[in-house]
Amino acid sequence: MQTNGCLSRRHFLSKSGFCLSSLGALALLQKDGLLAKPIDLIPQHFDTLPKPPAARPKARAMISLFMQGGPSQIDLFDPKPELDKRNGQKFSGDIKFDDSANASTTLMASPWKFKQHGQSGTAVSELLPYFAQIVDDVTLIRGMQTGVSNHGQGIYAMQTGGVLAGRPTLGSWLTYALGSETSDLPAYVALTDPRGLPVLGVSNWTQGWLPSIYQGTAVRSQEPRMANLDPAPHLRGEAQARYLDFLGGLNADHLQKHPGESDLEARIASYALAGKLQIAAKEALDISGETQATKKLYGIDDPATAEFGTRCLIARRLVERGVRFVQLFTGNQTWDHHKGILAGLPAACKYVDKGSAALVIDLKARGLLDSTVVHWGGEMGRLPVVEYPGSKDVAGRDHNTYGFSMWMAGGGFKAGTTYGETDEFGHKAVKDIVSHHDYHATLLHLFGLDHEKVLFRRNGTPMSLTDNKGGRVVSELLV
Amino acid sequence: MASLHLHPGQTAREHLPSTSRFGRFAFFLTCLLSVSGGFCVSEPSPAAKAPEGPGSAAPLTFERNIRPLLKHHCVHCHGEGEKLKAGLDVRLRRFLVTPHGDGGDLAIVPGKPEESEMLRLVREGEMPPKGKKLTPEEVQLLERWIAQGAPTARPEPETVPKVYITEEDREFWAFQPLKRPTPPSPKNAPPGASPIDRFVLATLEQKNLTLNPEAPKATLLRRVTLDLTGLPPAPEEVAAFEADTAPDAYARLVERLLASPHYGERWGRHWLDIAGYSDSDGYSETDTPRPWAYHYRDYIIRAMNADKPLDRFIQEQLAGDELVKGPLKNMAPDTIETLAATGFLRMVPDGTAAAPAAEQVTARNAVVAEELKVVSTALLGMSVGCAQCHDHKHDPIPQRDYYQLRAIFEPGIDPANWRLPAARMLSLMTDEERAKNAVVETEAKVIDDRRKKREDELIELVLSWELAKRPEELREPLNTAYRTEVKKRTPEQLSLLKEHPTINQLNPGSLYLYDRTYNTKHEAELKKIADEATEIRTRKTVEKFLPVFNETAAAVKTPPPTAIFHRGDPKNPKETVEAADLTILASFQIAPFGQNKEGAPSTGRRGDFARHLTSGKHPLLTRVLVNRVWHHHFGRGIVASVADFGHQGERPSHPELLDWLATELVAKKWSLKELHRGILNSAVYKQSSTRTPEKDAVDPDNLLLARAPIRRMDAETLRDAMLQVSGKLNPKMFGSPVPVMLDTDGQVIVGVDTTDTAGRPTGKVVPLNGEEFRRSVYVQMRRTRPLAMLETFDLPKMEPNCELRTASTVAPQSLTLMNSEFALSQASLVAERVLRESGAQPEAQIRRAWQLALGSDPSPEEIQKAAQFLKQQTTTLQAALVSPAPILTAPAAASGATTAAPAVAKPTVAATTVPPKPAAGAKAPPSPAQAALATLCQALLNSNAFLYID
Repeated sequence: MQTNGCLSRRHFLSKSGFCLSSLGALALLQKDGLLAKPIDLIPQHFDTLPKPPAARPKARAMISLFMQGGPSQIDLFDPKPELDKRNGQKFSGDIKFDDSANASTTLMASPWKFKQHGQSGTAVSELLPYFAQIVDDVTLIRGMQTGVSNHGQGIYAMQTGGVLAGRPTLGSWLTYALGSETSDLPAYVALTDPRGLPVLGVSNWTQGWLPSIYQGTAVRSQEPRMANLDPAPHLRGEAQARYLDFLGGLNADHLQKHPGESDLEARIASYALAGKLQIAAKEALDISGETQATKKLYGIDDPATAEFGTRCLIARRLVERGVRFVQLFTGNQTWDHHKGILAGLPAACKYVDKGSAALVIDLKARGLLDSTVVHWGGEMGRLPVVEYPGSKDVAGRDHNTYGFSMWMAGGGFKAGTTYGETDEFGHKAVKDIVSHHDYHATLLHLFGLDHEKVLFRRNGTPMSLTDNKGGRVVSELLV
Repeated sequence: MASLHLHPGQTAREHLPSTSRFGRFAFFLTCLLSVSGGFCVSEPSPAAKAPEGPGSAAPLTFERNIRPLLKHHCVHCHGEGEKLKAGLDVRLRRFLVTPHGDGGDLAIVPGKPEESEMLRLVREGEMPPKGKKLTPEEVQLLERWIAQGAPTARPEPETVPKVYITEEDREFWAFQPLKRPTPPSPKNAPPGASPIDRFVLATLEQKNLTLNPEAPKATLLRRVTLDLTGLPPAPEEVAAFEADTAPDAYARLVERLLASPHYGERWGRHWLDIAGYSDSDGYSETDTPRPWAYHYRDYIIRAMNADKPLDRFIQEQLAGDELVKGPLKNMAPDTIETLAATGFLRMVPDGTAAAPAAEQVTARNAVVAEELKVVSTALLGMSVGCAQCHDHKHDPIPQRDYYQLRAIFEPGIDPANWRLPAARMLSLMTDEERAKNAVVETEAKVIDDRRKKREDELIELVLSWELAKRPEELREPLNTAYRTEVKKRTPEQLSLLKEHPTINQLNPGSLYLYDRTYNTKHEAELKKIADEATEIRTRKTVEKFLPVFNETAAAVKTPPPTAIFHRGDPKNPKETVEAADLTILASFQIAPFGQNKEGAPSTGRRGDFARHLTSGKHPLLTRVLVNRVWHHHFGRGIVASVADFGHQGERPSHPELLDWLATELVAKKWSLKELHRGILNSAVYKQSSTRTPEKDAVDPDNLLLARAPIRRMDAETLRDAMLQVSGKLNPKMFGSPVPVMLDTDGQVIVGVDTTDTAGRPTGKVVPLNGEEFRRSVYVQMRRTRPLAMLETFDLPKMEPNCELRTASTVAPQSLTLMNSEFALSQASLVAERVLRESGAQPEAQIRRAWQLALGSDPSPEEIQKAAQFLKQQTTTLQAALVSPAPILTAPAAASGATTAAPAVAKPTVAATTVPPKPAAGAKAPPSPAQAALATLCQALLNSNAFLYID
């Protein structure tokens, strides 16, 4: 029968996979030759079954630590002696301000010291002591550039490859092209910060115009973790078990009066499947079985680092269980240090530094780093001039999308490398510039995909993650 | 007529292979795993479905057996294109035996399969080079035909006609003229059996089957009430019906339900599916809302309730603009209503307002194409979309036909002279209201001017403060530079200002930034003045708009030419065509469409098309309409593929009944309610759903209707039924949709979106005052924001419309029923109602809960089990409710309270699920016993007895 029934937008959400594996349907599909093939230009059916990429992949999964707000590259990753020298002087270059009312053209040196670390000798700010320990496993990119000015556009550029709303996010593209290795968990998970959603909220994990099965599933760091997963607090445990038991009795009586109705049987089975889903999700999100050493590594023993550390650990657990793409977010505008950077930046660093580094160390120790890309970065960087000039305590830095830094690790990225340069003030990227398109093309390449061939036809036009704007696989970054 | 006749001893399954048990199971799995794209689906060619199996010696002909196969696999390159690949054209048999290409090869040698190059190429898989290869059966068919000497049915035309439709094409059942069959008189029909019963019984008799006895009264009541109103019967209705022992009790029940205003909401919703009703533009993620689309929804509901004859109903929707008199201002209510009907042609996604210039051709063409899809699936039961690019591979729909249909609508929707959605609105404001508003506006303008003046003063003030912070010597140059017009500033001035960005960028737009460092009272002051103006403007009558489909005077005068697009590419138009129905139906068309009458408001093409469709003679329209009604009553159409009456669709299970119903509709003056009466009063409808092994052995999928089907409630019915049981259902009809919004998980819930421009929650909650409890048909249908509760239960995606809903069974549905805020809050509300209506006795509570949720009384065993459940659950909850405060009254608190920061709290949850809060302190938190009762009610609402219609 032709499938001319109308499909709803979300009921195929990777969740449906949960039911199938337990029905043994996967085997059935394989037998029938229905198992997905590599995607072609115009797929007619969409699913989250695992698909082989076109080329041999280096990476199989990705964890992105998204530092929303724009971490200051000048104070963290990109030391500028010239800026130090000319601290307090007027800057004569062109600057695009976001907050003009509090702008100035006065150069501000980084208040923090840099030191070289590891065999690679990568310079790292004193604000990131744990990152300093993993520099030999990391590729530091100093010449990032999106060229758009506000948070929204910057996020769209980094997350979706375009600057306008409505496009699918990176995680959606990866799950669209490659499916998922697990049928018990969502293919694409967004781990949100209890302090608030990033700017653009749920658009950060939208599937845009891709089918909704490629939407990220939001998982909160505190209960309730996932929508409808948990009973209300007072019903947990015995109360829900008794309710399900009673419901089971009602349904059994009903079925007895309607023997042979397979729909009714399937409905009864779906409650058992829901239980399986609950168990798989709970199990993946439950870190109590992790060793003390692991928890300590992630800073879970320290209230200041526990929340982010826990999410990093969960990210590892999800990837271990076959989830394709996990993204962690920092709270709304955590890194947007227009003002009060002297206190704000160290606090933001403290919150994430230990967990981020632990993730790389732990993945490496478990042999997962080679196949897992780790990304750390935001949608922009910050200006070398001071915002709110006057008092040291209120001083901050305005947006800068012409030159910023981020780091990558694992999955085929070249370890212990620094790539790209900004000008002598750390303002604009001037050498080995990496655009958001280059970044995305490179990522897809590591997953065995060609960014010009992973397409989705929409309104008659083939669409791509790189927005049909080109994009270079930056081979210098790769092993 | 290629109808379906079952022979004794043959099961229905053998005749309808694609609906076999396994077939359906595999389909179910595929659906679970995948989402179908909106592309032409490649299926085995019809030839492979032909009755002649391989090995049979039946004589084959080119027209009947081979042409369909070649159309499917080969014609795209070897016939349709401007250039023939390898010089070979396969559209006529004569070309196959004529030397082609440089080598002068023959494609086939009649009688000699082994020398036929074409056979070798397809057998070895060299051809077709891309796409699906021929199946072994198809290859065998070709081989046998060649071996038989490659005969044709009759002499072929000399050249390929522009529109080549063969006699074989015309034989297809759906294109046959309607004839009124005489109802048969099977032996198993009781005296006085209705025609419907006689048709169904006759088919059953051939299989030695008969109908089930009538369903129990309570079952029948629930079935027909949900069927006609989408709501379960109230306990009082159950009692009254049980007590009514008059022979016509059921018939009167049907009358009462047909007269209920809820009937229009339920059956209107069915039509809204096929029309693709949507409260937003779709196309892109911008998905601009359509605040006025509801006029069309309301028109449909009113038309259903009024039993507007379906011929008029369709004429109004296709050409309501031709049926009213201008001028289109200060319009009378019936004029507005008739124009609202044309919203049918304004429902499809239309992204042209948001699409950039470079995308306009694509975006506009998409609107026209989607509109044709809606029209053809809704009214013709044919998917013509494939013919946009090439001749239809399976049905006799040449590419030209697609553009003939397109020409009917193009004067109203001309891509070359595009009208954006906003330009297709008529104002409903009267001249009198407009004049009054102008007076108000003048008053408000005075305040606006005052604000502007004050703003200028404040800029001066801030400037003076900024200058004061500069060294003395810079003040004057900066002041002058700032006041100099930007274009006239000297390089020195520009450079000076650049060094002082806080002065350079001072303007009305940035004033608020400065305010925080100076004095917030200024910002507040400006806002106060602005509020004053806003306040005055609230006295204006709000202008309402009506989306209409009509034609501009210019288009009427000079209708735009409609051209065939080469390969469907709108940038490559070729020959022009005239407006007409499908060529294969040409004999039913009396006159060309759109013989423009002087001074008419349109070309008349749509009106003529509508009258042609509703002449009562059109073989597709009436069949499609009655089949869809049958589908909604029985869960399956007589033609199961309700929107595809073509070769790829299903064949009718009861062809004569279908035709009888179609002619009956016309005979009963196109009254839908008459059609309902006939069906609902039939023994076929009223029979029980009980399965028996005997029936299952012969007809496991119940194609022959030897029992009533069991069906899951659809999404809207489920939500509405829960609201009805809890007593919260707000019966308000019509008007602006109930708004939806995203909660912080991206779940769509009922509520007013109060996020800021960056998508951040503001924490503001707009009370909905009972709107949240309105029926689902009134909830905003924004394409990108389907209400989560509905979507989980298969609410269709309108892209552009929905021909046939699916009913899935997946684990997230169970989680929704178990744990969602909606399910929990409704269960609590049912418990409150039970307590109110039955008092403190557990047995009375249990009885009432059963009556409310299931429309029946519990058995003694059920009472006993439920009482034990309540007792044990109360004890358990006593412990669980140690901190009783908000947990039960607001299950939503579970999602909000534990998240620390207000930014991620779920401020809006309250709007969807939590009952309106009583006055502070008015109500004590529920006791453990009440909480236990709530879980009992929830179990009833989640049970199969509730979810399924028996």
